[in-house]
Amino acid sequence: MLKLVGATMVVIASGLSGLAVAGNYSRRPKELRSLRSALQMLETEVAYGVTYLPEALGQVSARCDKNVTLLFSETAAALSSMSGITATEAWETALEKYYPGTALNERDRSVLHNLGASLGISDRQDQIKHLHLAMEQIDNETAGAEEEAARNVKLWSYLGFLGGLVLVLLLY
Amino acid sequence: MNPANLYQLAPGQNGDSAVYGILPFLPGNIRSMIAALPCSILKEIEEVRLRQGRPLVLGLSTQDIFLSVEGQPLRQAGEAYRVTPVDMERVIQMISGSSLYALEEELRSGFITLPGGHRVGITGKAVLEGGKVRTLKYLSGCNIRISREIPGASSKILSFLLDVGGSGVFHTILVSPPRCGKTTMLRDLIRQISNGVSKLGFSGLTVGVVDERSEIAACYKGVPQRDVGVRTDVLDGCPKAEGMMMLLRSMGPQVIAADEIGRHEDVDALEEVLNAGVKVITTAHGSNLADLIDRPALGRVIKSKVIERFVILGRSQGVGTVEDIIDGKSMRSTGVKRC
Repeated sequence: MLKLVGATMVVIASGLSGLAVAGNYSRRPKELRSLRSALQMLETEVAYGVTYLPEALGQVSARCDKNVTLLFSETAAALSSMSGITATEAWETALEKYYPGTALNERDRSVLHNLGASLGISDRQDQIKHLHLAMEQIDNETAGAEEEAARNVKLWSYLGFLGGLVLVLLLY
Repeated sequence: MNPANLYQLAPGQNGDSAVYGILPFLPGNIRSMIAALPCSILKEIEEVRLRQGRPLVLGLSTQDIFLSVEGQPLRQAGEAYRVTPVDMERVIQMISGSSLYALEEELRSGFITLPGGHRVGITGKAVLEGGKVRTLKYLSGCNIRISREIPGASSKILSFLLDVGGSGVFHTILVSPPRCGKTTMLRDLIRQISNGVSKLGFSGLTVGVVDERSEIAACYKGVPQRDVGVRTDVLDGCPKAEGMMMLLRSMGPQVIAADEIGRHEDVDALEEVLNAGVKVITTAHGSNLADLIDRPALGRVIKSKVIERFVILGRSQGVGTVEDIIDGKSMRSTGVKRC
């Protein structure tokens, strides 16, 4: 009886960790798409609204998907406080807070990092170029992420449970 | 840029505390150097000049001083704190609200107005397009001029400019070289003319202000942050010539005020307003009347003798000294000297 309970727990634990990995694979393309649409909103604010960056970021954070709000709201708050930091520093600090809670990988992070380095420091044309570049890179990453998700989500959902079962069989 | 935060740092915005209005726009290290200065220096500061690689200069009303690395005031530049490229980058980010892209027009004209009406002149390398300045890059120098609100600054000249019982106010031009308190004087004149002056039996007129550089009323999102009077309408950030015509057509002003008239189109609009029976109060750069007469556009208006009062400002007895008030018809002094 005890063995049976133990075996069930092993299968459940390993199954859940498989689902978690699969979840990460399926969350990444979603988050990338949210990021892209948020950057699109930022571009509209910068290009057509000619809104000041703190205000533009605040407006984006109010309208964008919840999973990217933190990045924009934190940057906006840090800039509005007039504490003497630059937009790049504010963005980087917000990115540090935002990144660990996401399914994004190092490449995605470096796209955002590079964008931060040019935020607010040049004329409109140049800002639009940088935003377009970031959006393009995110598009590429999204395509890759979707492929990976298609391949890996099912794989890991099964692999967790099956791995658990194999382990149980070996231990039995 | 959230002005609520700025005004917390700058409690009164007038007199002694005016310098606090610009501190949030300076990099942290320079901010603390200036904030640590004794009060006697703080209230004298008129300008903060940053030039990359060169000493930080504070322009006081009587002289320029430098700051040592520890923040001590110095007379000589030798040991002075030098502005680093990082300082320059930060100050540009702070004054532009990290939004240089939103300030293309301002960069083209070489200055940015901060919340609170403080004007920042900027230098760098001009980027040309079709022979005209498109924008500036490699921004390497700036001059932050502290704007002070001095209620009552115009009281001493007001009686010479009001035509109580007649048309209300005389057409007036305030004339002075830069840094003599023209804008401060104009702002207070607007406030008093708009509110009325009971002591002089003057009940107040509707004033339209074209605030092209946002220096007079220091509007934030269209709402004046400075006291410009109860009957004052402000057209913020609008080119003077166009603005004067817009106000004339739409707001029915009795007096139109604008800062720094000089270009041909400004003078054309000014003449239009003069002919429309609306009173005009404006300012012009120059150290005396002869300077104005020599200027092509303004000279024409002055020779036509429609302007009724010229107030000559200087700094012979400190900023905002009224050197003379000249009657525009007779071109003679009204007898006011140095006050």
